[in-house]
Amino acid sequence: MTETGSPDCAAVLGGISAYLDGELETTECEVIERHCASCASCAAVVASLQETIGLCRGAALSELPSGVRQKAQASVAQLLRKERD
Amino acid sequence: MNGDTAYNLGVSVTNGSSVHPSRSDAARAEYADLVRKAAVGDEAAMERLLMRAQEVAYRFSLLVCGHPEDAEDVMQDALLNTYRHVSQIKDPEAFRTWLYQTVRNACLMKRRRRVDEPATLTSIEQGGVDGDGDPMAVDVPDAGVRPADQQLIDSWVGERLRRALAKLSPGYRVIVVLREMEGLSTREVATITGFSEANVKQRLHRARMMLKESLEDL
Repeated sequence: MTETGSPDCAAVLGGISAYLDGELETTECEVIERHCASCASCAAVVASLQETIGLCRGAALSELPSGVRQKAQASVAQLLRKERD
Repeated sequence: MNGDTAYNLGVSVTNGSSVHPSRSDAARAEYADLVRKAAVGDEAAMERLLMRAQEVAYRFSLLVCGHPEDAEDVMQDALLNTYRHVSQIKDPEAFRTWLYQTVRNACLMKRRRRVDEPATLTSIEQGGVDGDGDPMAVDVPDAGVRPADQQLIDSWVGERLRRALAKLSPGYRVIVVLREMEGLSTREVATITGFSEANVKQRLHRARMMLKESLEDL
């Protein structure tokens, strides 16, 4: 088991985002994966960070509240009508 | 690059990190297609584009600036600026970045015009560099979000994430919202915020770690 706070842990934690974003070379990924296989603490951080990113990316941002949407549609219609006239 | 093979540590990421760049490309291409059509008189494309511009403005006002009371004005700015810009745009692929920059600036200008604005608010024109030598992005002050708006944000991102996001400073929150929620690329976020790409990545990493810790505490 690797001690948390060892240089390996610091390097892994510093590179997690690049790892999760698919920005690392295969050999660099293997270093992280090998480390996490023997370091429960870093593996937990990676899992928790993946969960955090998943939560952010799973946000459903597309819907405006109906009142706001109606106002926005009315603004568009008014602008286009004004420009046509 | 490693791509898909980077995710074998257990928990999968919703909308996976590996598909994120293509998500960004697809959205940019969709905007560009609407811009091209709108520029040659396709009214339906123009309507969709103008609605998109207002949606971006509304979300940015609430999620990044935390000032829903400004949203209506920022939406109106986005509407008019988009309409004027479409006929002049030379590079439709750059439209999406332009839109977010315009909305961000509108939010900041709106804050500056308020009579009760804190004197410490940095103006958009003021430059300066941060500790890494990168141009400083301008932060806007936080404000309390009304319960009704909290409910709306909760319906988008959930209560836990809304509360965790509120704990981030605006300079970090803008990176998370643009990159993770709006699905913009690192390069686009760098253009919008004025940070270097390296700084966007560094800030995104710090912001993710802070969010993670906040979420664990909630």
